[in-house]
Amino acid sequence: MSQRIPRILIVDDELHVRESLTHWFSEDGYDVEAAGSGSEALGLLGRKPFDVIVSDIKMPKMDGLELLGRVREKDPHVAIILVTAYASVDTAVHALKEGAYDYLVKPFDPEELSRIVAKACEKVTLTKENAVLKSRLARSGPKIVTGASPEMGKVMELAEMVAPTDTSVLIRGESGTGKELVARLIHTRSQRAFGTIVAVNCGALSESLLESELFGHEKGAFTGAANRRKGKIELADGGTLFLDEIGEVSPKVQVELLRALEDRKITRLGGTQEIPVDFRLICATNRDLEKAVRDGDFRDDLFFRINVFSLTIPPLRDRPEDILPIAEHFLARYAGAMGRQARGFSPDVRDFLVRYPWPGNVRELANAIERALVVCRGAEIQREHLPIADAGGDEAADGDQSLSALEDKHIRRVLKQHGFNVTHAAKALGIDRVTLYNKMRKFGIERE
Amino acid sequence: MPAWGLELVRVGAIAPAVLRQLREDLAVCLAHPVWVAEQELSVSDAFSSDRRQYSADQLLASLQSPPPAANVKRLGVADVDLYLPVFAHVLGSAQLNGTVGIASTHRLRPEFTGDPGNPHTLRLRILKEILHELGHTFGLVHCGLSWCVMSASLLPEHVDLKDPSYCTSCAETIGVPRDGILSFFLKGDTP
Repeated sequence: MSQRIPRILIVDDELHVRESLTHWFSEDGYDVEAAGSGSEALGLLGRKPFDVIVSDIKMPKMDGLELLGRVREKDPHVAIILVTAYASVDTAVHALKEGAYDYLVKPFDPEELSRIVAKACEKVTLTKENAVLKSRLARSGPKIVTGASPEMGKVMELAEMVAPTDTSVLIRGESGTGKELVARLIHTRSQRAFGTIVAVNCGALSESLLESELFGHEKGAFTGAANRRKGKIELADGGTLFLDEIGEVSPKVQVELLRALEDRKITRLGGTQEIPVDFRLICATNRDLEKAVRDGDFRDDLFFRINVFSLTIPPLRDRPEDILPIAEHFLARYAGAMGRQARGFSPDVRDFLVRYPWPGNVRELANAIERALVVCRGAEIQREHLPIADAGGDEAADGDQSLSALEDKHIRRVLKQHGFNVTHAAKALGIDRVTLYNKMRKFGIERE
Repeated sequence: MPAWGLELVRVGAIAPAVLRQLREDLAVCLAHPVWVAEQELSVSDAFSSDRRQYSADQLLASLQSPPPAANVKRLGVADVDLYLPVFAHVLGSAQLNGTVGIASTHRLRPEFTGDPGNPHTLRLRILKEILHELGHTFGLVHCGLSWCVMSASLLPEHVDLKDPSYCTSCAETIGVPRDGILSFFLKGDTP
């Protein structure tokens, strides 16, 4: 950010005051201009921005307080210092209430005036920098591509609404629907955007590992704890903690997490010192947490803590109008990165993309397009480039057409294609290994 | 080095010995001709009975009449309390990029802040103030380097914190040696 010389505007109907102050601030290296009346000052403000205005209160026609109000409408950032030769507590209070930066009585102590103006310039510079950084930060947030579906439009609207608050958010949705992206979007639009967002996948870690990951540990807390390590909760201090797959957390860790949320303090494993933490909590799950509470698998008190504001991201198959815009977005993104020519889809691919149920949701769609681009050398993605067997159309027409049956068949087929290598199959399906294991358990799929 | 000279003017009743010492110190620091004018300036017209202080603006105007010769800067040295209309007091004042300036020993005396009198402290303070106001007449604004004599000093204690010397950039603008302070100390007359 370039360091521009601060601009000061002096407004006073007395010439000698204007000259003295102009001279004084010029010696300090400021860029100074002077106006003999409020209307002249407004004219100057219309032509160029100023950082600080030093204005007399008592002036004919437009007084300093009226000028203050008019300037505030034009430029909310400028700092206005009002001066008067007639000191009164009422005027001072009124000036400050109206938004003056400070109030001085003539004749000033030169040190006080210089100090106040320097501080005002510093404040204005910081405020302007802050506004620029905030807008940059807002623009740099994650891009969530949606089509015309009203369901996703509603989700985005709710995310934007809840973001500036400090409310805990629970994001629900199937695997691959973009829960973490929505969490990151909420973070970048929040008051904590200057802090970090720390993400933890609770389903991917064993109980002891998750405990250590969340709360950190002291040196020697357990075998292998060679050094002290801060936990993710501590690292999220001042920012946002994103707990993915919260439904997979064990009862023991649920208790510890609840205590941390209630007390806003944590103790590292093997430690005795309580460390205060200030973070916003966003959780995500693809499980039916209400059912988990009923079944006794998830603590109701923790559920109420995390479920203050709930967002549900609909699966891709329920919003077919979003599929092509999202596919086109990934096509442009990957083709650019991979240096491929493909700029579109053949008509049968477009038809297939919309009909296919996408059990792995957006993640599966993105993976499918990336893999298609690897083999596609032409200008259009053809059906043979897509690595997915046509389960969405013809086969689904036979027998059990339920989504669950279709998902079962598709997972079996992909597992078979990858020789029951769960890692490869999960990648092909666009879901993580834990989710695939859960689905295999649900459909009773065993390795061949 | 560009040729210019500095004329000091006794303003009011300041002791002539102070001016003589100041002239010597300035000649060492600046390596340019410095002399004390024969004419003295009365302060009575600049007195404000309301404020019981002396208008720096008015004294600057008087110092300018008649205008100094080309390549001559004229600085008044006073012992009265100076003010500008909007300020409670000032230690000195000068025309930015002009020809005249003024500084006063009134608030620079250690006794003013309740400290015991110390002629050496006063000697160094008035030297720095005159160097500072001289810099303004050459168009220099306040310097960001705290030790440079052109850094802002609104209180006598601030004056003590800087050197009686210009930083490289300020010295170049005026056309004075950067090692002015070195010469000052080598003179073996360190206050």
